[in-house]
Amino acid sequence: TGGMAAPTMEERKACWGARDEFWQCLDSHGDDAAECKKLRRAFESRCPQQWVKHFDKRRDFLKYKKKLETEGYHAPETAGKS
Amino acid sequence: TMLLALGPKAWPKLSQFKPLLRISGGETLHRNSRHWAGQGQRQGPGLRTRLLITALFGAGLGWAWLAARAEKEQWRQQQRTEALRQAAVGQGDFSLLDHKGQPRCKADFRGQWVLMYFGFTHCPDICPDELEKLVQVVRKLEAEPDLPLVQPVFITVDPERDDVAAMARYVQEFHPRLLGLTGSTEQVAHASRNYRVYYSAGPKDEDQDYIVDHSIAIYLLNPDGLFTDYYGRSRSAEQIVESIRRHIAAFHSVLP
Repeated sequence: TGGMAAPTMEERKACWGARDEFWQCLDSHGDDAAECKKLRRAFESRCPQQWVKHFDKRRDFLKYKKKLETEGYHAPETAGKS
Repeated sequence: TMLLALGPKAWPKLSQFKPLLRISGGETLHRNSRHWAGQGQRQGPGLRTRLLITALFGAGLGWAWLAARAEKEQWRQQQRTEALRQAAVGQGDFSLLDHKGQPRCKADFRGQWVLMYFGFTHCPDICPDELEKLVQVVRKLEAEPDLPLVQPVFITVDPERDDVAAMARYVQEFHPRLLGLTGSTEQVAHASRNYRVYYSAGPKDEDQDYIVDHSIAIYLLNPDGLFTDYYGRSRSAEQIVESIRRHIAAFHSVLP
């Protein structure tokens, strides 16, 4: 059983809080906004690396899901349409 | 009605039963004759009696059929109870250590309702959410004095990291009665198999950290140790409480 101990409940909530702040910033300023870089660093410092990756994937999924709900599914375009 | 279709030829044989039948409620006959007096051609008492005999014969057949069906149903019920008894003992067993280092198996929980969740302590969000929901359910049920206490249980799918100490640190933050269970790789695999829980550890990063992908469900076991219901992520605490209340009300033990 090597490696770090699992985050405590307090540490988990701190991580989630940092994540939520970061995501709120992205929601208001767009996904690659420079304004959110500081919050990104805070998020990365408060959460284990594995969790950061996990939440990044989750955000991608949530965005994709929202896109499906609002725009509907678009099949990838094929070259040479008639 | 089948007998009517046989036609008048059947009647001479059946008419020997006529004197054996005491037609109770003579008023019924009078009422009937008043009703039929309005019809064109007078049918006469013969038809009424025939219809009555047919009805009684049909009723007799019906009763015999129902009795046979009830007996078959009872036999089926006994078979089912026996099968449940065997399942209660043999199915879903586990041999694990609780977060105080004590060995536990399913028989230890006999007599109690159990709410069980499989997860791991390094879980980013889902396990804490589901466990929070689980203990919320337990607290709501605790608030009702007529209901038995439900035993919350958390079983790890990450025995490599979640030893007894790790489990103790984790469960204590959720609920004083939340019991953590862990064990060797084989013991955890055995328990998970019995509950059809899928799990797969992901790749390790530089910190040796990894995420365990696993099926998400809260399982309800009844006091006989039988799997009774399961609740996915979409079920709210309120819905789960309602469901458990119903199961508790409907529960009949199959064990002696």
